[in-house]
Amino acid sequence: MTVGMTDKDDDWAPLLKAGMGGDPQAYAAFLRKVTPVIRGIVLSRGRNLGDAACEDVVQEVLLAIHLKRHTWDISSPLRPWVYAITRYKVVDAFRARGRRIDLPIDSFTDDLAADPAPDPMQAADMHKMIGLLDGRSAEVVRRIGLEGYTVAETGKHLSMTEGAVRVALHRTFKRLSALRARHLE
Amino acid sequence: MKTDDLIRALAADPSPQVPVTHRLWRRLALSLAASVALLGLAFGYRADLGAALLTPAPALRLALALAIFGAGLRISLDLARPGGTVRGRSWPLLSLAGGAGLLVAWALAVTPPSDWSAAVLGSTPAACLFGIVALSILPVAALLLALRHGATGNPSRLGAMAGLTGSAAAAAVYVLHCTEDSPLFYIVWSGLAMALVTAASARIGARLLRW
Repeated sequence: MTVGMTDKDDDWAPLLKAGMGGDPQAYAAFLRKVTPVIRGIVLSRGRNLGDAACEDVVQEVLLAIHLKRHTWDISSPLRPWVYAITRYKVVDAFRARGRRIDLPIDSFTDDLAADPAPDPMQAADMHKMIGLLDGRSAEVVRRIGLEGYTVAETGKHLSMTEGAVRVALHRTFKRLSALRARHLE
Repeated sequence: MKTDDLIRALAADPSPQVPVTHRLWRRLALSLAASVALLGLAFGYRADLGAALLTPAPALRLALALAIFGAGLRISLDLARPGGTVRGRSWPLLSLAGGAGLLVAWALAVTPPSDWSAAVLGSTPAACLFGIVALSILPVAALLLALRHGATGNPSRLGAMAGLTGSAAAAAVYVLHCTEDSPLFYIVWSGLAMALVTAASARIGARLLRW
């Protein structure tokens, strides 16, 4: 695999380490750095699914990295760990989607081409999944993710403590991950 | 939702990261204590317990079960990490299986062929088989639930390994009750019980250990 050759191997580990030590900026930087590499792997495996479906898989991998980051052994190299998570989620997602998408799309390409191309960074499934959450969880994710509020501001707005917002956010990610697994089965 | 937005939301969640081992030790210790207590209630402990642990045959039996438990635990923890593999790590388990095979061969060699079937059947084969299967339930459940917090690349293989590890612990616990310390008896019946639990746990793991 040639993806990631532009990044130095030791770029990611300090960022994730700092992130796990409680530095959200470093953690976001780590996630932003791995995203293009993950996207490259996903696109090389599933180009024919379309950009939006591929971006869904990229988000699934990011969610998995987030929820399973405690399984990274700090003394071992980070890249194989990231690749192993990506491989597992990509295989899983494409197996599930392969079962679901069984239309011979090729014969419709001319008609489909008329559709407006989706924003390639926009993933459809995550939006649907957030719609399945209960009101407050969805609100917390929307305010922090889409509208860019901080945990403190979100807490003030929803009259929750910061701790409660954090707990709600974490539960929401676990729930999203479970929802996606069920949705894809 | 845009990927950048997701990243922003993820970065706002500094949930504490608890290593899989932290969750494992407590549950495993509790489940083993419960298994030992259950054994005492259901079967009772062997009368010669203290002396037996210093006698070669029962001590070897206990050591074999504990060694399989340790080796299996090690492999399970490796398999529970992304990118973890059994490659290069399975030799302790394979040599223990080889050792058990040698033990059977040795017992067959020193037992006259006419006594083989009596030695294999012993007097309590069903109790040994079902007892170990029953005592496996708690430790295997503890292992599977803790390993769920990991992220294995191969759920059914990790499930099998959890089954083997938990049933080896159960076989070790069962030594505290059963006095039939002939390798022909215990390797056949404990081995069969462990094989059954391993197969069942592989099926359960294939579902439970997906993430």
